[in-house]
Amino acid sequence: MVSAKPTLEGRHLLRSFGTGETATEVLHDVSIDVYGGEVLLLMGPSGSGKSTLLAVLSGLLRPDSGEVIALGENLWQLSEKAQRQFRLRYCGFIFQGFNLFPSLTAREQLEMVLRWGEGASQREARRRVDEALERLGLRQRGDLCADQLSGGEKQRVAIARALLKDPAFCFADEPTSSLDWAHGEQVIQSLRDAARTRGATIFIVAHDARIVPYADRVCYLEDGRISQRSEVRDQRSEISKSLTSDL
Amino acid sequence: MRIPYSLILIGRERGRYLPAILAVAFCAQLNILQWGVLLGTLSILSVPIDRSRADVWVASRDVLSLELGHPIPEAWESRLASQPGVEQTEPYLFSFGYWHKPSGGSEVCCVIGSHLGERSLGALADLTPQMRTRLTEPGAVVVDDSELDRLGIKGVGDAAEVYGHRVSVVGLVHGFKSVGGPYVFCSLRTARMILPLFQEKPHDTMYLLARCRDPAAAEELVESLRQYHDLSAFTSDEFSVRTRLYWLTQTNAGIGMGCTAGLALFVGLVVTSQTLYAATAASLREYAVLRALGIPRWRMAAMVLAQSFWVGIFGVALAMPVIFLLGACANFAGAHVLLPRWLFAAGNGLTMAMALLSGLAALRSLRLVEPITLLR
Repeated sequence: MVSAKPTLEGRHLLRSFGTGETATEVLHDVSIDVYGGEVLLLMGPSGSGKSTLLAVLSGLLRPDSGEVIALGENLWQLSEKAQRQFRLRYCGFIFQGFNLFPSLTAREQLEMVLRWGEGASQREARRRVDEALERLGLRQRGDLCADQLSGGEKQRVAIARALLKDPAFCFADEPTSSLDWAHGEQVIQSLRDAARTRGATIFIVAHDARIVPYADRVCYLEDGRISQRSEVRDQRSEISKSLTSDL
Repeated sequence: MRIPYSLILIGRERGRYLPAILAVAFCAQLNILQWGVLLGTLSILSVPIDRSRADVWVASRDVLSLELGHPIPEAWESRLASQPGVEQTEPYLFSFGYWHKPSGGSEVCCVIGSHLGERSLGALADLTPQMRTRLTEPGAVVVDDSELDRLGIKGVGDAAEVYGHRVSVVGLVHGFKSVGGPYVFCSLRTARMILPLFQEKPHDTMYLLARCRDPAAAEELVESLRQYHDLSAFTSDEFSVRTRLYWLTQTNAGIGMGCTAGLALFVGLVVTSQTLYAATAASLREYAVLRALGIPRWRMAAMVLAQSFWVGIFGVALAMPVIFLLGACANFAGAHVLLPRWLFAAGNGLTMAMALLSGLAALRSLRLVEPITLLR
């Protein structure tokens, strides 16, 4: 069930890199609303500013101007510590690549997030990690080190790490880029499940048009401006077709 | 019990952390062994004091070490004997001499003359009754078995000359190797005969030794003797430490050792910190994800410091058996290496401090952990 009010709002966001004549404006007055229980897919060509918008909305990169309201909090007016605590409490991230410690087992990677982040007890961390591994079909592979897992399994561990805390937001940057479609589809399905069953706000940045049918809404970013907003819930196949041809 | 992540990573990435562990082990070995060698060498300097039965040594004023005494009147023995609690007193002659080898050439030696009775304060406890009897003969001496080559003799029965006086070796002892000239042990009579210093001053002695009825009263006796401003008095332990410290400070051996120890610590510090830095730098993306998830930076810093702690522990654990082995080999080869417990405690403590310091130095790698780098 998609929330009535947006859980994440970006208002008039500007962001540039470099100074003087070499300054490049990456985001031009971008405004966007994302709702709880919704999977929003942000697409666009390379260099269009997709990852920058994700970074600004998720509290990783300060905008030059504009504001980000997340769960009613003006994110960029919080102190650095409060921002970190906000991310700790409400945000999960999936980045390109798996970014797993190669010598730690899947279970250890996940337990580390709970123990270091929330100070969870060993028993509590183990219980929650077992549940997360079970949900992603990794129960039997939990005691293998990351470098013993397949690419798909690694990405599922990365997703488990992002969703372990039952976050209100999950930001995913090209989550399927290093996977074949069979595994990529599993990944997107997991994120969609998180939106449906837990009401999480899922913000995905991707090139892969095969994801479109799984999104509730697709935004298209070009030259730092949102050029197209599409409700795909009812016309999924049509927009998918159109976007695929655009790309 | 949960094994800490720092230890898990070291265990599973042994190859990565091995250089740091070896550097710490090398640092601990070098420091402890070289100080062990120095302590052993210094202890040799005070062997005649440490192996005597005397509780108190009386010497000329302001004497700095055993070798640097000046003759004092033997008559002062009465001062000593008149002190309450003194059980026994006796003179002790000590002077350098020239040992002329039978085959030609000479060697500086340290001639030590003392009473020879079994209850003698200055005589070596290692002397057998047979040796004591034979040493009563004029010109009879006993030397350490490891000094035969330096003295140019083959063993018991050989003769040489000291200041033109014939001396004959009537026995060998073990464990009295010297740093300077070889020790030549003899009776008071022989010492007075061969040493020109005591020929000129026949009523002088180099030291006066005293034994107390209660050894615990030695310090009290020393205090009491300090009323005489023309002499120095020390307990045996004080005089032993004084002799060692004199050589440690005057020869700059301590400074030399300190420099080498500092160098070893520096090498250990650089290798360990660079290894930890490289290990952290190799996982920057993983740490960056944790930062993005809101995990505080101090958790990662604590992990790096914990790794430096474990690297220190493993390095020290690796060094211990090697130190014992090398120390035993050195002693077998004739060196004198002393490895007291306090030296291990101090050496290992210093090495652990170095390892933790290298962990602190490696923390700079965490400044590179920025989640935004994952999005570029």
